[in-house]
Amino acid sequence: MDIHDDKTVMRARDFWASLLLILVSVFFIWRTFDIPLLAGTQGGVKGVEWFNSAAIVPLGVFVALLILSVALLARSIREGGAALALDKVGLGWNPAEALRFCTLIVIFLFYIVALVPRVDFIIASGLLITALIYGYHSGRPKRMLLATLAMTVSGLAALILHFPQSEWNAHDDDWIALGVWLALTIWSLWNGRGDPVARVTPVIAIGAPLVLICAMAFAFRQNVPNRSGLLFSKIEYHYYVTLAPMWRQ
Amino acid sequence: MDFLLSQLIGFGGAFVALVSDPLTYLYLIGSVFLGITFGALPGLTATLAVTILTGFFGNKIPLDYSLIALLGAYVGAIYGGSYPSIMLNIPGTAASAATAMDGHPLAKAGRGGEALGLTTTASFIGTLIGTTALLVFVWALLLVSKNIASPEKALLALFGILLSGALMSEDLVIKGWIAGLIGLAMAMVGLDPLLSEPRYTFGWSYMLSGFQVVPVLMGAFAIPQIIAGMRHTQRAKLTQLTGRIVPSFAAVRRYLPTITRSGVIGTGVGALPGVGEDVAGWVSYGVGKTVSKEGDKFGKGSIEGLLSSETANNACIGGALIPLLVLGIPGSPPATALMGAFMINNVIPGPTLDPSIILRVVAILVLASFTMFLMGLFTARVFIRILRIPQTVFLPVVLILTTIGSFSVGGGINDLYLMLGVGVVAYFMNMLAFPIAPLVIGVILGGMFDEMFRRSLFLSDGDLSVFASRPAAAVLLALNLALIASQLPPVKRALGRIRRRIV
Repeated sequence: MDIHDDKTVMRARDFWASLLLILVSVFFIWRTFDIPLLAGTQGGVKGVEWFNSAAIVPLGVFVALLILSVALLARSIREGGAALALDKVGLGWNPAEALRFCTLIVIFLFYIVALVPRVDFIIASGLLITALIYGYHSGRPKRMLLATLAMTVSGLAALILHFPQSEWNAHDDDWIALGVWLALTIWSLWNGRGDPVARVTPVIAIGAPLVLICAMAFAFRQNVPNRSGLLFSKIEYHYYVTLAPMWRQ
Repeated sequence: MDFLLSQLIGFGGAFVALVSDPLTYLYLIGSVFLGITFGALPGLTATLAVTILTGFFGNKIPLDYSLIALLGAYVGAIYGGSYPSIMLNIPGTAASAATAMDGHPLAKAGRGGEALGLTTTASFIGTLIGTTALLVFVWALLLVSKNIASPEKALLALFGILLSGALMSEDLVIKGWIAGLIGLAMAMVGLDPLLSEPRYTFGWSYMLSGFQVVPVLMGAFAIPQIIAGMRHTQRAKLTQLTGRIVPSFAAVRRYLPTITRSGVIGTGVGALPGVGEDVAGWVSYGVGKTVSKEGDKFGKGSIEGLLSSETANNACIGGALIPLLVLGIPGSPPATALMGAFMINNVIPGPTLDPSIILRVVAILVLASFTMFLMGLFTARVFIRILRIPQTVFLPVVLILTTIGSFSVGGGINDLYLMLGVGVVAYFMNMLAFPIAPLVIGVILGGMFDEMFRRSLFLSDGDLSVFASRPAAAVLLALNLALIASQLPPVKRALGRIRRRIV
């Protein structure tokens, strides 16, 4: 089959989606049996009947999910999805799109898991904005890889140097991320001479996180990530020690 | 008559209190501007605007100001979607998809100014129609809803999930229902609401309190948009804006019947649980094409076609708030985010809601629509400039906004992991044509469904007839069963035969 219409391609993808959903439903039905369904004690309450057991609704939900997943599988097979399932189109495999998606996920993962908890928010977010605009604005795979590399180096350094929560206040990983950010900014400005997007990127990368974190911390008085970060700790100190007394006077 | 009078007096009081507070204008102008900007930028949606502002304003300022910010952004974003539809032929939001069909041909024909001006006026009148319906019907329904007990609430929650699954799915209805069930399943995580029995926590203490609403909203609506939008795209050609934007009174009067009809349709569609502005726009467009004298011109640059969809999607806002405020069931995806904001403020929408909040919501909607009207007419050229910003430039900033918003609501890094996890799942669901809105509605209503379903059985000592013994419950049960049955192949075949016989 050379030419596949959208519907058949969608059914091929439904084939895999329904198989995954069946596995997930079966797994959670099995886990639901850990919760006493028939008479027993739940949450310290004795004499719980089947109808007010904590398992009854989740069991219904996962059984319904299983039934619908089987129905989706049946429909997918009936409409030719299974026949196309192992085909490149059926799998939804597109090398350019796979590269774009995978690099984005790596960038997001390092930002959320490694950088936000450990590195100053302004530095981590500035690096992220620079990497994303540089990497994806022009759509060139080499740029995507370089952006991912920048985030990976900073993220891995933060994870390796200060994995446990007790060490998240340390600043050496902040310096590494700051260095990578500066290097990427200079590189993107050098390569993007004449490009207005390249020129405006550093302004957005510094301005957006700075304004956001200050608004959150000082206007809304909310918890913000990594208060002890390299830059934010200084801003917070001067806000309360230098600026606030001046305003009070 | 007395009822209407008392409503108007109550609304008047709330309105005066609102307009006499200078801070109202600060939040209103800022949020409507932000909303129009979000709507105007292709890749950002009204749901995302309300979701992000929920993270920022949800529980950080008094509820009144929080509602001004969220409703202002909601009204602004639904209207803002018309800009790229008309000027670029790219719908800014799903709600404006029908708008592009007539808006862009009008702009290409040199009538862009006229199209924008009439769209702005129609959106304003549409919002007012929806708001009036909200003011009138919400009270009547609130009186009825006082008699709603646990079985009806459980069946209503189920109906909301099933209906949104059925109507929001672009491919198969079964996919919408699967999305709704995944949402329901996510709501089962944590301590159960009646016995505090831990469920699916896998020994992780963070999971004991269940999935938090704001990170789920951010993950479901923001992350897939960011992943999908971070790609190189050819810049669409911006059509030159020509002509006067402020419409003439005669033109508005001429199209008033179309605007009124579309406003009523939009409000009605919005009042259906879980059905959003995009459906309202298309339904109104379809009706307009059938009943309008210039129906054959629809899709080729018809002002009536343009106004049919644009009025309806804004009127849908008031309609979508009716089930939210009366029953605690969101009427549209942005209303789902709004419900999240209510919940993090410990305000539970539904029959027990403080009536003064409803009056304030109505007053805010009127002010927000007026602000949108003025901004639309007099600052339209500013928003057209915003259309030039590439999405690869603003989407990274959206990621920062969602990160800090998610973090500050719960105050923990675990919320960010949840946001990212939900986001990746939602991206794949989008790719496989599973709608996201039923999932989020499932997460939000799941807790209520679980509690009400088991409470009903507990009170009836396990007798399942409790779901059919009361008239309202019996009607709701019949609706749920009819909705499910309508998708069964033999029933579908039979319905098809009947339809063919009628035609």
